[in-house]
Amino acid sequence: MTDSARIARFLPVVILCAIGIAAAGLPFLHVAPNRLLSGVPQNPDSIALVVAWLLVAVAGCSRFRWLATACTAAMVITLPWLAGHDATQLLEGASSTTRIQTGAGFWTMWLAALLLLLDRVRGLRIAWQAGIWAGVAFVLVLGGMAGAFDNVAVMREYHAQRGAFLDALQTHLVLSLITLALALALGLPLGVWAWRAKRAGGMLLGVFSFFQTVPSLALFALLIGPFAWLARQWPALASLGFGGTGAAPAVFALVLYALLPVLRYTVTGLDAAPVDAREAARGLGMSRWQLLTRVQVPLGLPVLLAGLRIVAVQTVGLAAVASLIGAGGLGRFVFLGIGQGATDMVLLGTLAIIALALAMDLLFQGLHALAESRS
Amino acid sequence: MRVGSKADNEGAVLGQIVLQVLRREGIPVTDRTQLGPTSIVRRALVNGDLDVYPEYTGNAGFFFHREADPAFRDAARAYALASSLDREANHLVWLHPAPADNHWAIGVRADVAMANRLRTLDDFARWVNGNGRVYLAGSAEFVESDAALPAFQAAYGFRLRGDQLLVLAGGDTSATIKAAAEGTSGVNASMVYSTDGALAMTGLVVLEDPRHVEMVYQPAPVVREQVLKRYPAMRDALEKAFRPLTVEVLQHLNARTQIDGEDASKVAADYLRGQGAGP
Repeated sequence: MTDSARIARFLPVVILCAIGIAAAGLPFLHVAPNRLLSGVPQNPDSIALVVAWLLVAVAGCSRFRWLATACTAAMVITLPWLAGHDATQLLEGASSTTRIQTGAGFWTMWLAALLLLLDRVRGLRIAWQAGIWAGVAFVLVLGGMAGAFDNVAVMREYHAQRGAFLDALQTHLVLSLITLALALALGLPLGVWAWRAKRAGGMLLGVFSFFQTVPSLALFALLIGPFAWLARQWPALASLGFGGTGAAPAVFALVLYALLPVLRYTVTGLDAAPVDAREAARGLGMSRWQLLTRVQVPLGLPVLLAGLRIVAVQTVGLAAVASLIGAGGLGRFVFLGIGQGATDMVLLGTLAIIALALAMDLLFQGLHALAESRS
Repeated sequence: MRVGSKADNEGAVLGQIVLQVLRREGIPVTDRTQLGPTSIVRRALVNGDLDVYPEYTGNAGFFFHREADPAFRDAARAYALASSLDREANHLVWLHPAPADNHWAIGVRADVAMANRLRTLDDFARWVNGNGRVYLAGSAEFVESDAALPAFQAAYGFRLRGDQLLVLAGGDTSATIKAAAEGTSGVNASMVYSTDGALAMTGLVVLEDPRHVEMVYQPAPVVREQVLKRYPAMRDALEKAFRPLTVEVLQHLNARTQIDGEDASKVAADYLRGQGAGP
């Protein structure tokens, strides 16, 4: 191994472990008298954490790659477990409104551990990567179900809102998927058209760029009138849940926001087939349709999928605004939490949105890898 | 029946009370509570996309651009005016409101109130004008809206300088009350809503408004006339459920959702059970 390759391999380990060790000086947990007031920092096991990070660093710099990966995965799992364990001890004899919140120390360390794991598995086969992440997620979920984190404030929020949370999670996912499906169904043909008719296409992109700048709340307020009118005119639509509030205006707005990137990436994807290839195909006597399906789509698919990955992640994040128009979703916890001054409730909604977005990202990454290997 | 409510803390509780009362009356209901901010919920009701939601009487002053009307400073007249305006313009019926009046107010730390004998906004004006060391946290809306701080200043004859105000753009009372309770950057007073759940726990003293600068904001279920005709029994049931909602009761219910983090539906169910009206 050359020097520069060695540095490239060990640099992330050194940097991230240094961050982890430094974070031992930040508050790992906060003990707050209730949901609203700020807490007092607590660092019950800084020394143990410093030792753990040193071990991870040593393992990371060793020749055994699997050992490094295993140690890092263990760190990703241990940190939340430790927070849960400490929270239970800190709550002993405390009043029922007391909340044990995870502090900057915890989050910095956990992020460092996650990034390190990401770095360790990089270069492995995609199936291995997915397997390792799924394994870590599985252990964490299992621990959660066994009650290991129950006394951490975010989990307290989850338990207080359990039914509503699972509903919201499902709604959020469904809203995002419907939005993606509609954005694709509309965006792909529009994109092909915009690519062919360059000038009109430019105008179309301009129009959707404009929609991108309209704030969602203003858009919702504008949509209530016409959508409610439509529902009154066609009761069949209304019986399907279509109306001025609820899923209809939410999906409409989200599709509007998603169309611009879908259009952009479709156009870029179609451009991915070099002019030579297109002309050669025409020379072979291919029709425009054949050119599109046999040359441009296969060549442009990786670009398009890379774009869709961004659209999917963006849509999952944006779908939080759906709760402003009564469509539900995880945004409910974000906005109610902000109103109540309950950071943990905001965190509950945000973490779930991040998890969904990451899952989406992983899915499209897989599809992307598949398309890449085919083409 | 589609039941809506505002998305804020109190809106969630009031919406659940309406929802559960109607459900108990055997009326088929769809849960649209915590629908969104006032502008969205109100539009949805006016457009027939909702059938009922709890609104504050004083807000009718804004809906009909009659903020200056003295009628909105008196509980009975505010209700009468709101209900007649809305029946005529939108075929909406305001049921009898709860006695609680949830208006904007100024809350000061208990130690400051005690030391300076502050009970009303008159006392506050005297204290500020006598070079009292006030540092008040409020949202941009509270500091600028003609319905809030500027109105208090004009009526009680005091003026807060820029360096006596901590403006949190888009801030909620939860954030400003927290700042005052913890004395963050020396804040010792905060904008509050009189039914805020955080008041009891933080020990802020809400200053009285003897000159009635604020409009009266009593929560009342607002129903579409058409729907009320179909289910006339809902009027009595809802009014009975709203009648015991005093400022203290609402503060207590709000505190359960905001401070203890309980779910609004559970808090509403407990409240209704306590009224002998539960399932």
